[in-house]
Amino acid sequence: MTFPVEDRQGFSVVMLNGEIDLNNSPDARKVILNSLKKMKHVMVDLSSVEYIDSSGVASLVEGFQYARTNDLEFGLIGVSEAAMSVLRLARLDQVFTIYSSLDERLEHGS
Amino acid sequence: MIDQQVMEETVAEHSVRPSDLPAPPKDAIRIVQACSRPGVDSRDLAQLVANDPVLTAELLRISNSAYFGLVSQVKSVSRAVTVLGNRALRNLMLCLSMRDALRSDAIPGFNIDVYWEDALRRAVSARMLAELAGLDPEECFTAGLLQDFGLLVLLFLYPEQVKHWDRLAASTPEERRDIEIDLFHSTHDEVGLTLANSWDLPHDLACAMGYHHDGPPDGTDSQTQILCTVASCADWMASVYRCADKRIAIQQVRTLLAEHFDASPEHSDYLLQKVAESVAEAATAMGMRVGEQQTFDQVLREANLRLAEENLSYQELTWRLEQALGERDRYAAELNRELELAREVQKSLLPDAGTRLPGITGLNLSAKAVSGDFFDYYPVGENKMAFCLADVSGKGMNAALLMAKTASLFRCLGKGIHDPGKLLAMINREIFETSVRGMFVTMLAGVVDQASGEVTLASAGHLPAIHMGCAALIDEYPAKAPPLGISPDSIFPNNTFELQGGCLYLYTDGLLEARMEDGKRLERDRLIQVLKEYASVPLCDRPLAITDSVVGSDGVLEDDLTLMIIEEKT
Repeated sequence: MTFPVEDRQGFSVVMLNGEIDLNNSPDARKVILNSLKKMKHVMVDLSSVEYIDSSGVASLVEGFQYARTNDLEFGLIGVSEAAMSVLRLARLDQVFTIYSSLDERLEHGS
Repeated sequence: MIDQQVMEETVAEHSVRPSDLPAPPKDAIRIVQACSRPGVDSRDLAQLVANDPVLTAELLRISNSAYFGLVSQVKSVSRAVTVLGNRALRNLMLCLSMRDALRSDAIPGFNIDVYWEDALRRAVSARMLAELAGLDPEECFTAGLLQDFGLLVLLFLYPEQVKHWDRLAASTPEERRDIEIDLFHSTHDEVGLTLANSWDLPHDLACAMGYHHDGPPDGTDSQTQILCTVASCADWMASVYRCADKRIAIQQVRTLLAEHFDASPEHSDYLLQKVAESVAEAATAMGMRVGEQQTFDQVLREANLRLAEENLSYQELTWRLEQALGERDRYAAELNRELELAREVQKSLLPDAGTRLPGITGLNLSAKAVSGDFFDYYPVGENKMAFCLADVSGKGMNAALLMAKTASLFRCLGKGIHDPGKLLAMINREIFETSVRGMFVTMLAGVVDQASGEVTLASAGHLPAIHMGCAALIDEYPAKAPPLGISPDSIFPNNTFELQGGCLYLYTDGLLEARMEDGKRLERDRLIQVLKEYASVPLCDRPLAITDSVVGSDGVLEDDLTLMIIEEKT
């Protein structure tokens, strides 16, 4: 399986969905890193994520670290409650830049 | 299937140049037609033959040949005509006229003798089958000789395809038709039928030429039907001496002769053997040249040799497969030994289950051979115990390696740094520097004063530690900082609290996510219930009692599971 990516207003939006676990986190990782190699601004949409395990979170962390090293923008948008509870418990909500939607990100300007 | 109209147009296109087309000599055709007239006088026929000195000589030679074996020597044409009868004369005339229809140099670069040798094999095969089929032997011989004449015509029409003769010769009768479609867009039986009709050849022979592959159309008389069957069988019999895969041809002959003539395999082979013996005789009778004939024994040897070669390659394949499987098993065994070693090393990083310390216990179950979870504790000064519990993101070998590193850092740095928050900050920086693939570690680290029950606890993104009394939840301590390995400057605040006679439970998400027997994950609320339920079980037995109750009866874990319990020393 692979995850869709949409180009919207200068952003590459990676749409993760369903259960992100050891089976498909390598796909998520690949899609996120490929997007970061192509675009300066990448948002991962987690609105349709029903479950995410630590390997899935690691894919997000790797995207975050790659962006920080290469001076790119990496953020999460529309984080579902299931994903947010995992991020909040691990205090990763302090680490990632999180927006309710791409529009909210756009309101912040460049 | 080639469109009939296209095929006819192809032939018709060439028919407009009569000088290019093979046509039987007019005298022979006249004799053939005269033979077919009812009530024709044998003297008139003899006169027709006698008009052509070449035909006369041919007829006398054939009549006196050993192969056609007439009872007494024939010296005159009229005697030959009388002895042979109209029908046999017709057939012989047809054979001779067809043989001469194309001169030996008519197809550039092609030795027509090679074709006629093959045709003779069909002819002698068909003649032998005549007895089984209850047909006239000479009629069958003629059908066999003429049945594939369409192929010679196709080569004549498309001389540029002569270079593919070897491929045609090596094929079985069925394959040959497919190759013909490929090369000529038509087949020898289709062209043969068209030509037989346009040359007004006798109906039964035209049918044998046109329908020896697909069978004659409905309504065809039974004798002609049998003649078509004989031609079909003769085709396969001749192919035994020509095609590449002789085993297939021999088998097909046995099948066909058993099906149509109730012949045993031995009888089939006997007839096949006779083919080789008869070709040279028939060639002499017909004034044709043939090369040295391969005997049926030689054919059988060739077929068996091929079978042996194929068996050999099959055995070799089997041998290679066995080797590959053996190699795979060796690698798997080696890998298992490595994994077992890794598991042992990893176990050595956990507190020794044999040397129990009072007031603290733990259990680690791994979903794979090696685990990404770990826990540890060791005394730091009088009545004080340093402890930790951690979970590396992901599973398997990469998680196990990072676990080993984190465990070593905890042991090593923890001896000198007794402040849990500071210890986590130090480990975090070390892990961050070498972190790969976004891997991180959630970790709880703490120090417990077992005399006073005071606990100092810090968390790096780990699940909340649960502080339970005997019958109620006292408190939970969620993380205030992210996991290790993500940000180098994270600060890990300490929580300090008293155990108040209760217990502190540290666990990894493998416990929360364990599937209960109802298929649902345990989750936090049910975990609290379970902890209450087992609160009175002695400390040393409690981790196993709790994990046994939450891990399904199949014992399959989706994730590594670790549980650690700390209580005041009593």
